[in-house]
Amino acid sequence: MSRAMAPIDFRANAQRVPATMPAAVQKATTRFLGTRAALVDLLGQELWQTLRQAGHDLRLHAITHLDHYLEQAEREVVKAGGQVHWARDAAEANRIVLDIAREHGVRLAVKSKSMVTEEIGLNHALEGAGIRVLETDLGEYIVQLLGVGPAHIVVPAFHLSKEEIADLFRTKLGVEALAEAQQLTQIARLRLREEFLAADMGISGGNFLVAETGTVVLVTNEGNGRMCTTVPPLHVAVVGIDKVVPDWESLTVLLKLLARSATGQKLSCYTSFITGPARTKGDTGPGEYHLVLLDNGRSRILETPETRETLLCIRCGACLNICPVYNTVGGYAYGWPISGPTGAIFGTQILGTKVAGGLPFASTLCGACNDICPVKIPITEILLRLRRRVVEGDEQEGPMGPTMARTGAKMGALALGTPWLYRLGSRLLKVAQAPFRRDGWLAKLPPPLNRWTMVRPFPAFAADFRTWWRARSREGPRSH
Amino acid sequence: MSPAREEILGKVRTALHRSPDSPVPAVPPAARVRPRAAGPAGAETEVLLAEIERLAGKTRRLASRDDLGAALAELIAAEEVRKATVWATPDLLAWEVPATLRARGVELVSPQADKRLVAQCDLGITGVDLALPETGTLVLRSSPERPRVVSLLPRVHLAILRPAALRADLHQVFSEVKADGSFVLITGPSRTSDIELTLTIGVHGPKSLHVWVVEA
Amino acid sequence: MASTAQLFITCLAEQFFPGVLKGMVGLLERLGVQVAFPQDQTCCGQPFFNSGSWTQARELARKWLRAFGETDGAIVSPSGSCVDMVRHHYPHLFPPGTPEHALAEATAARTFEVTQFLVNELKVTDVGARFPHKVTYHASCHLLRGLGAREEPKALLRKVQGLELVPLPNEETCCGFGGVFSVIYPEVSQAMMAAKIRAIEASGAEAVVACDAGCLMNLAGGLRKLRSPVRAMHLIEVLAADRGAP
Repeated sequence: MSRAMAPIDFRANAQRVPATMPAAVQKATTRFLGTRAALVDLLGQELWQTLRQAGHDLRLHAITHLDHYLEQAEREVVKAGGQVHWARDAAEANRIVLDIAREHGVRLAVKSKSMVTEEIGLNHALEGAGIRVLETDLGEYIVQLLGVGPAHIVVPAFHLSKEEIADLFRTKLGVEALAEAQQLTQIARLRLREEFLAADMGISGGNFLVAETGTVVLVTNEGNGRMCTTVPPLHVAVVGIDKVVPDWESLTVLLKLLARSATGQKLSCYTSFITGPARTKGDTGPGEYHLVLLDNGRSRILETPETRETLLCIRCGACLNICPVYNTVGGYAYGWPISGPTGAIFGTQILGTKVAGGLPFASTLCGACNDICPVKIPITEILLRLRRRVVEGDEQEGPMGPTMARTGAKMGALALGTPWLYRLGSRLLKVAQAPFRRDGWLAKLPPPLNRWTMVRPFPAFAADFRTWWRARSREGPRSH
Repeated sequence: MSPAREEILGKVRTALHRSPDSPVPAVPPAARVRPRAAGPAGAETEVLLAEIERLAGKTRRLASRDDLGAALAELIAAEEVRKATVWATPDLLAWEVPATLRARGVELVSPQADKRLVAQCDLGITGVDLALPETGTLVLRSSPERPRVVSLLPRVHLAILRPAALRADLHQVFSEVKADGSFVLITGPSRTSDIELTLTIGVHGPKSLHVWVVEA
Repeated sequence: MASTAQLFITCLAEQFFPGVLKGMVGLLERLGVQVAFPQDQTCCGQPFFNSGSWTQARELARKWLRAFGETDGAIVSPSGSCVDMVRHHYPHLFPPGTPEHALAEATAARTFEVTQFLVNELKVTDVGARFPHKVTYHASCHLLRGLGAREEPKALLRKVQGLELVPLPNEETCCGFGGVFSVIYPEVSQAMMAAKIRAIEASGAEAVVACDAGCLMNLAGGLRKLRSPVRAMHLIEVLAADRGAP
């Protein structure tokens, strides 16, 4: 994703959401919320809240001393025989990975699920240079065959039916495929096994980077993460600089929070820990290891104390699952790979308000996300800050909204804030509405309130409290 | 020094009002959570195996290494094992696991052989360095005697452990293995719900996981 | 106990639900509270704050603090979101250490949403109301999560004579109002509102009760469009309805 992106039109995207999407989203999110709740109950609310606070505090500590921990991580990785690269933006990261690939004559790369590589468009960059890149997480493999992005950060293809997937496998893989989950998974297993064994390079992201030893942690269920980082002779890990965790004790807290929050598992099937290349040949791991540390706007997010907790995110997806807006539209409406509340706050800051200025408003500020976030990111506080950035501008960006909106706000504040104007306006509206009023309701209103009445009628203006109050003050309060 | 590195670290420092010699306080105490205490010794093994069964793993308790032979024979038949690959750790060698397999007509493939050969194995047998009862987790370290592919490429993974491997909490596990170049926590056989949220066991990792405890 | 309550009537309730305000006055007086009405109040500024116009929000906050800052007693409002604005956002609008910040904090500390005032300050749950109908409760987001009022509204409803409180499926899920959200993303707002109305109908209730004008405008409008017999009411209207039919 570069600055050259077109503005994300959330409303248009939402209007285009297929009718089957809400039910499909809600099936997935209800499942994960249920299994999560069961495990939280098992652990007990007290311990869970303690873990959340600990997770918040240690991640905040990590990002507010990020320079120190990044340097420590780099030192440790180099000590372990790995190579560390730094990438200021998406283009630089892609160039680095491409150079490594070219140096090794890579023709086929296998990739485990990584949101950061979607953020930078790595697949596209490698394919442009004639390198085949295969997504190996089943959901990502499916959407890759389909040519679309992920619809959820944990279950990318949840919205597709097994019939659609069977069709896809028949068309794109040229195989007999029954519309049955076990069979379809088996097809993918067999296909991808060949690719794992043939691949020249494995690419991964990193759920966490433990500074204490320079260890990249991968949290997966399918085994593809292990395959990508064990079988090919070369492993490249791309990790956002925000993924840093100070030490192993801190990591323990996060691992207790992550799988429970994401899928309602105590731990995912495979949690792999990788520090550099295989240390001895007999160890059967990759002989060469590269870690690419990516900024791409994260250092800029650090600049604003009130929004920097955006970087605490551990990508569990719980906020997506609980968000009533996400549950209505699904992931594609957000216009970039990370969706839901975390995608909105992260995206607005990574992509800038020119591109993503509509995202902070794609929320009713209900606050359910704040309560479910395992690291207590104050998501609605950050959304409010970003709305202000869009409308008024701040130290980071100039105002984005149309000037008319700011003038409208000024006029509105004047009318609402001046008592005699406010009372006059109230009386005038009661009069003006008369021809349109039916039974205490107004069926149609002029713009912008026509956007209200296109959905449901607006109540009639009925202010008479002040008159009532004055009258009873004259008469004295009635006894009850 | 790479210009990108200097620029990124520079931006981070400016954003945080820090300099290269700024101090780094210790991780805040509130960020430390007391680890789970170990349950009663006898019960922990039960807890471990129950959790693994809950995750669709298959478990057995063996009174002693003498029962391994019969157990292996059953597994070979049940899972139709023709080729296997095994860790070369002291326990597995002392228990004569490779020899037992050979005696049953199973072809042994070296873990260090070409990965395509290893991938054709029906069975991979490993030990278990550490285990966590609460989550049903096996901790497998890597070394020349513990090649990673053994628990990854074959169709079936058999992990054999001693009760001494049990630990109460991740904290203990990490303090013991964090300096390793590579290790993995295995919690149940590989799975996905990517297709219509339907749980499928056995995706890219082994399709089934067997965990045996040798008590003595 | 003669306490004083300053009425914080809110712009939406004033324009669209004057009956709720009158009901609140009557209810508080019945409970022995002396009620006052600072006449200069208009709007707390929440719509501006929520839509990113913090300059205007600050101006309105100043005016609100001028209207209420010198008053005595508790400030009581029938709107969870407005109280949330005053309690949680007003202090942040002014730099710490300034007199305005101090005034904002002091005033925020004595500003209450009405159900919290009744239950936590007056220690009352039974106000002697009678409403013999099947009622379901929608938990408005700012009241629930902003102010932590999960139990107070239901505690009051349970003590209403003859009232049968039935559970609302997905009681705590947002109704889709969201202030400016309803006009910026009307289709999404519509879908969320429709889901909430389906839940209300599934509950079998004759009335849905909420404590926020925004939610009520949204739900009442939606129910009206469907010509549904279900009535959307403010909890105050239930507490003030001590004589039978709605």
